[in-house]
Amino acid sequence: MNGFDLLAIGAWGVLLLKYWLTGQLAVLIHPNYFPLTIGAGLLLVGLVGWQGWVRWREPGQPQALAEGSQLLPRSWGRFLLLSTAVVGLIVTPRPFNSQIALESGELLSMTRTMPQQFRPVNRPEARSLVDWVRLLNTYPEPDAYQGQKAKVQGFVVHPPDSPSNRFFIARFVVTCCAADAYPVGLPVDLPEAKTYQADTWLEIQGQMATGQVKGQRRLILQAAKITPIQPPANPYLY
Amino acid sequence: MAALQQGLTLFFSLLVEAIPFLLLGVLFSSILLLWVEPEQLLKLLPRHPLGGAIAGAVLGCLLPVCECGNVPVARRLLTQGMPSAVAVGFLLGAPTINPIVIWSTWVAFRDQPVMVWGRVVLTLFVAVVVGWVFSVQQDLRPFLQPAVAQALPVGQPLREPVLAAVPTGNFFALAGGKTLPLETTGWNASRLLSRRGRWQMVWVNALTELRELGGVLILGTAVAAAIQVLTPREVILGLGQGPVTSVVAMLVLGTVVSICSTVDAFFALSFAGSFTAGALLAFLVFGPMVDLKGVSLLLTVFRPRAVLYLFLLAGLLTFVLTLAMNLYL
Repeated sequence: MNGFDLLAIGAWGVLLLKYWLTGQLAVLIHPNYFPLTIGAGLLLVGLVGWQGWVRWREPGQPQALAEGSQLLPRSWGRFLLLSTAVVGLIVTPRPFNSQIALESGELLSMTRTMPQQFRPVNRPEARSLVDWVRLLNTYPEPDAYQGQKAKVQGFVVHPPDSPSNRFFIARFVVTCCAADAYPVGLPVDLPEAKTYQADTWLEIQGQMATGQVKGQRRLILQAAKITPIQPPANPYLY
Repeated sequence: MAALQQGLTLFFSLLVEAIPFLLLGVLFSSILLLWVEPEQLLKLLPRHPLGGAIAGAVLGCLLPVCECGNVPVARRLLTQGMPSAVAVGFLLGAPTINPIVIWSTWVAFRDQPVMVWGRVVLTLFVAVVVGWVFSVQQDLRPFLQPAVAQALPVGQPLREPVLAAVPTGNFFALAGGKTLPLETTGWNASRLLSRRGRWQMVWVNALTELRELGGVLILGTAVAAAIQVLTPREVILGLGQGPVTSVVAMLVLGTVVSICSTVDAFFALSFAGSFTAGALLAFLVFGPMVDLKGVSLLLTVFRPRAVLYLFLLAGLLTFVLTLAMNLYL
């Protein structure tokens, strides 16, 4: 364990704390695991600081007992740790955008969760985008929702094959971290749909109606009032 | 540019989620290494082949956490007379059947409970069956590396004469004329330390393991992120949705990426949308048993032939079980 090893591991501790303090953790992982990550960051920084102090005070510390993995030469481990931590400290992680939502090609599909218990939100206008999609998974009959008020927030996605008066309002859903993010969305109809750029964040108020989407009868949001909003600090839904 | 941005976000999200678990794993494993004496457990283990294989597989709940920590322990236990069924059951089962791995799998697949219990049940099954098969070979010596075989307790006549009449190698001289072989210094040497010295060893050992495994984790995560971003969506879907091709692809990936079992669930997670459930399970079950890193460690205990048997048996069993799951569930 030399000074470089301590520096490389300490840099990862600093990176975890940076993600926490700058609020970027929300772009990377589910809030349930914030305490675990923050704890790990504090522990890493503390452990490295303390071991550095011990090394400085009493040189000639014992080496580790375990041989560890023999797959990588010793210097690779510290190089990889240090270089990725430096990249992480420089680059700001960005939430996924409409392009990625289209590539995953599942905008109209189901949520992946298999709820053991389902509590629909009673006031329709209080439902978030993912609440709507979950509700549709469980009770898929579009007519059941006709005329209900809606107020949802999300970003604009323009699927290449949708008519000119329609876009999708979408959010990514995360269960663990950004690696398992998948998009959910609702079709929105309004005459000037094309004027809204992809990736613009909007709050849409309106009424639910039914209509044809790719030859199937689906729930469609008829927009009455559209307000551009700032991208939320926490871009994902859970 | 967008692909690079997406790849980096994916890469760091996987690492930020995995590193706390890796840290827990190396701390846990270092504390066990220095404070728990696995030799005591040997006396409690059943001698029956099937019972032994089961006991070996669930021993992971009490002993170091991922495959990197387990192989040295198995090596030490074998030289102290651990039956072959227990040893093989332990080698295959312990990396997965332990609290940290089960917890991290649950964190990753909270919305797919089948992944969590499927991983535990299939791993137990494969580990017990392979351990049971290996118990047919009562004398493990022909399978072991010569150095390990020589260190086995002499209970039965050896097939090959031991060349050295007196023990050879490097020894520590202790007070009172006693000696300690160098191989056993891990646990034995720590017994000679003060409390404070032993805890100091725990921290140094944990940080060293973190550097080793962190490097492997970063490489593996980079592979996952690169595959996600660079491979065309149609290729992944085509490969990942076939019941047979998806399992084969994930078995190969599990062998190649060599991520520690404490964190490999997050790696698998990044394929959750595009691969069949059976394929993800194949990765989660087979990866910790046989991967590139594990093989190099296994070769310090077993001869290449025995490692090949282990590899084939475990691989075929995993393949058949997860394929059946894809086809019939």
